[in-house]
Amino acid sequence: MVKKMKKEFACCLLVSMMMVSGCLTEKIDETIDDLVTDDYQFVDDGELIIVTYDVSGLTDTMISTFENDTGYDVKLIKLDDAGSILDHLMQYKGVQIADLALGLDNTYLQTALDNGVLVEHIAQNIPELDEKALIPYDGPYAVPFDQGYMCLNYDTQIVDGVNYTVPTSLWDLTEDEWKGKVVFPSPETSSPGRAFMTATTDYFANDNDSTTDWTDWWSAMAANDVIITSGWGEAYETHYTGGYGEWIDGHVGDAHIVVSYCHSPGVESWYNGNWTKSAALDLPRSAFHQVEYAAAVHGGNLNSSSEFIEYLLSEQVNNNMPTENFMYPVLNGSDLPEDGGYRYHSVIPAHPAEVSAEEIAQNMESWLEDWNRAMVDA
Amino acid sequence: MLEMFKKVANASAVTIFILLIIVPLWLALDRLIWVAGPDMTNWFSALNENYISKEVVGFTFLQATLSTILTVFIGLPIAWQLGRYEWPFQSFIKSILTMPFVMPSIVAAIGFLNLMEIYDLRSNENTWFTILILAHAWFNLSLVIRFCEPVLSTLDPRLEEQIKLLPNGQSFLDRIKHFWAPLLLPSVAAAACMTFVFSFTSFALVKLITLGENTIESMMASIGSSAGIEGYQVSRNEIILGGSIIQFTVLLISLWLMSYLQQKRQSLLPKASEKIAKKRSRYGWFVVGPAIIFAIAPLLAILVDSFRVQTREQDNVTESWSTEGWEYAFKETVSLSSGWDALINSLSYAFVTLAIALPLGWILAQTIKDLEVKSPKLARIIDVTTMLPFAVSSVMIGLGVTIGMIKINPEFFYQLWFTPVIAHVMITTPFVVRIILPALRSIEPAYDECAMTLGVTPFKRLISIKIPMLRGSIIIAAIFTLAMSMGEFGASWVVTRNSDWTTLPIMIDTIREAYKPITNTASNAIASVLMLIALVLFTWAEKFRPKRDGGMF
Amino acid sequence: MLECIDFEKSFEKPLFSGFNLQLKPGEIVAITGPSGSGKTTLLRCICGLEILDKGRIILNSEEITDVKPERRGIGLIFQKPVLYPHLSVEGNLKLGSKNKEIFDALEEVGLQGFNQRRVETLSGGEGQRVALARALLANPTVLLLDEPFSSIDDDLSDRLVSEVRELLKKRGCPAILVTHNKKIAENFADRVVSL
Repeated sequence: MVKKMKKEFACCLLVSMMMVSGCLTEKIDETIDDLVTDDYQFVDDGELIIVTYDVSGLTDTMISTFENDTGYDVKLIKLDDAGSILDHLMQYKGVQIADLALGLDNTYLQTALDNGVLVEHIAQNIPELDEKALIPYDGPYAVPFDQGYMCLNYDTQIVDGVNYTVPTSLWDLTEDEWKGKVVFPSPETSSPGRAFMTATTDYFANDNDSTTDWTDWWSAMAANDVIITSGWGEAYETHYTGGYGEWIDGHVGDAHIVVSYCHSPGVESWYNGNWTKSAALDLPRSAFHQVEYAAAVHGGNLNSSSEFIEYLLSEQVNNNMPTENFMYPVLNGSDLPEDGGYRYHSVIPAHPAEVSAEEIAQNMESWLEDWNRAMVDA
Repeated sequence: MLEMFKKVANASAVTIFILLIIVPLWLALDRLIWVAGPDMTNWFSALNENYISKEVVGFTFLQATLSTILTVFIGLPIAWQLGRYEWPFQSFIKSILTMPFVMPSIVAAIGFLNLMEIYDLRSNENTWFTILILAHAWFNLSLVIRFCEPVLSTLDPRLEEQIKLLPNGQSFLDRIKHFWAPLLLPSVAAAACMTFVFSFTSFALVKLITLGENTIESMMASIGSSAGIEGYQVSRNEIILGGSIIQFTVLLISLWLMSYLQQKRQSLLPKASEKIAKKRSRYGWFVVGPAIIFAIAPLLAILVDSFRVQTREQDNVTESWSTEGWEYAFKETVSLSSGWDALINSLSYAFVTLAIALPLGWILAQTIKDLEVKSPKLARIIDVTTMLPFAVSSVMIGLGVTIGMIKINPEFFYQLWFTPVIAHVMITTPFVVRIILPALRSIEPAYDECAMTLGVTPFKRLISIKIPMLRGSIIIAAIFTLAMSMGEFGASWVVTRNSDWTTLPIMIDTIREAYKPITNTASNAIASVLMLIALVLFTWAEKFRPKRDGGMF
Repeated sequence: MLECIDFEKSFEKPLFSGFNLQLKPGEIVAITGPSGSGKTTLLRCICGLEILDKGRIILNSEEITDVKPERRGIGLIFQKPVLYPHLSVEGNLKLGSKNKEIFDALEEVGLQGFNQRRVETLSGGEGQRVALARALLANPTVLLLDEPFSSIDDDLSDRLVSEVRELLKKRGCPAILVTHNKKIAENFADRVVSL
């Protein structure tokens, strides 16, 4: 294929070295927009481009109803996970193509706010929302549209008290019995992963054991071959034996405990005619209250994004969250439906982790660093 | 006038190539370094200090090495059987066995995933690794066959007869040691070298078959979306820099080794003599038969699975035959792009890529050829520059386009439908140069000179002499460009993920990840379409391939 | 009619310098010299495929030193016949002329009915005849022949030498033959010059 390469090889190296050295001296000037919302300028191009991730189920009917009602043309950019949404917003900061970010949660929101990639929405008709949903953030940059608790789920057919004992402490998972049988989504890339990691900081800060902290537990988990996946989907669908994943091609089924929602068993049951083998594990301070937000993107069409926020919070749409998006609605007084055992199999944790939005905002970056170190050093 | 035009064309081709291919990579590198900081030791230590990249380099080397060994181990007996014995439908058998190489990697991945599903292999922690290695062998088998079979089949039988009469050739083992091994070694090594390169930069197969294990390539793809942003996820920029430098170096060394081996190989490749009478192999079917099944099985699994639909009730799953998957795949929905869109995008990208890469590659090849006489040094510099992208993997090219172009001017590039084409042109142009340049070199100057003395004008010389004489190579280059563009996964995955320009390979991946049971069947349907396109292109290309080139194309 | 004045050319080593030649209308000249003496290069310089280091070429009292080869109207027969493998015999001949003279041209070189033959099926002598027919179809002012008989066995080459000479004389076409073979030079040319 290639001839006379000795000299060429040297040339290649030379060229590549020149490339590297040239770069060391240069610096790109980056303009960072000053973000003054009052002066916010935008063009209403009749479009709504939503950047979101695959999990949130915006159904076709939902979108076409919005298109018919408002005349906006909706386009979706579907990314892998919440982390990718933030990446996308950061990547195109100042020259956004998206108008609305859908799916940043309370573990990611602060980074987005700090980086000025969001803009105050101008939605008018916002109904009264559930108090709990407003605890992490109650400002003009983002509006909650669904919520839920993250916690451990386990396969009751295998974790039946005989083959495996039901854990009563997170430390139980570091026992030999659970070697390689636990799967968590990574806090570096997924919001459920971040939520659960955040919960563990609280769990181990209050476990009456001052000799170990939460990073020791993660190190012990890493040593116990915990499976870390990049997103929730891979953890739940590919590895977890208790969920619908076992019907999907490529299912592995090597883990019997997974981080998911406390109401995931409810979803399973609702889908399967009031039957599920999955159950939520309600250990004190191990569950995390997650709120997902809709936020207007700085640089996007504020009219269309605000209208969609209103639409998302309208009763007809938001009350369908449990069956369309498999999350709790955020409207005041709303709940999961009874049918199919949805509410029956869902757990509201008695004592979720108590981590304030400020704490999360302040510590998320150093937590992630600590987590990384704990996992690498294990 | 035409002379002048030619000079302008040559100069602009070189300029376009540099602008389109070198500059984005340069800018991307520049930006990554700007974010990560100039300390190179940090780049490499970051690989070990991050959970996301910790075991990646080791895994990449391990799987590439094992894949290479297995590929040679399986491929050599097949090449031996095909080359040494007479086979009914010989060229047909050879086509089947070499066809996997032109299959898009995502198709191969889906095929092997389906096979694992049938035999319920994925749940066993040890089997997926074996399957990955096996899938790489499936993919690269044709390299061993293509490189070794011509050496065996056109060997002058007298050479073998002679060695049998010499003291060092009495036993079969002796003959292997003193005759076959030295004869075949450069070919085997060249094939092994290419196999190593392809396995080293494997992305789709690793993404779909492993349980979260990454090669450098797939790891860079997954963290690429957060690269190039000032003060944000700085360690990922370091990881990408460290990873890409390791990858670039390994690929560069492999390419150099490859070219050295190719040269050695050429000198050992015996010239074709009259047809050599061969025997039929008595036990050969035990080798060739399973090989044919191995080559076809994953593809068959895709086609079959595209018509299998699951229904589930409580703990029971039933499967039935249905065309629902196909209907779903080609249905227009808001949340998932339709198969038609992806097909049209893929075809359009492929033809636009062809329209750019073929003339560009051709003019570059011509420029190199012309300069070889006038200024050999400049010719060599351009020659090397056109080869440089070979040492850059497709994910690196994808990152080059996202970080080096889209990020630099998002307003322009982001909304441009054309943007993914840039990546495809970057990937295919070097191949066009590599196919056309040897063809140009092989045309004797006397053909052109003779036409000159007959008073034939330059334009007519181009139309009625040069193009017809290059026809086979041009068609192969064209088909190759189309096939590569249609099946391209790595760069497209990086570039088009944040957009709605879905291509067939990308759709296969995204639709598979959607959670309804039907989407899996639909993903197989789209994979079947891509597979059939690749098959048609491959069959077409086979017609124009010189009989005994023994190269990879 | 063709004048070579003070030719000088070196190619790694000096090949010839101060070479002069005058060709009269219809005259056939043979240039002899040992191999490596620059005979082929000399012909290539005359027809423009090589550029002279020094010297001038006059054709019919017009200076053609800087004219492109395809405009000079000087034909060249290569040592080995250059036939385009993607074209038939007829296709090859058509490169010399568009007219219907092809049949006559084939007849002239004794290859009637060879129109549709593929060139790889031709023998060495047949190939050289096709090349000759094609060169003559282009109606060259001068025809240059670069050892065209060397790749053909002796019996055949003797016959071809006289046939080609006859043909050129019939047409009144002036020609320059270079060869290392003195016997062929004498049989073919009106005048023999050594380089």
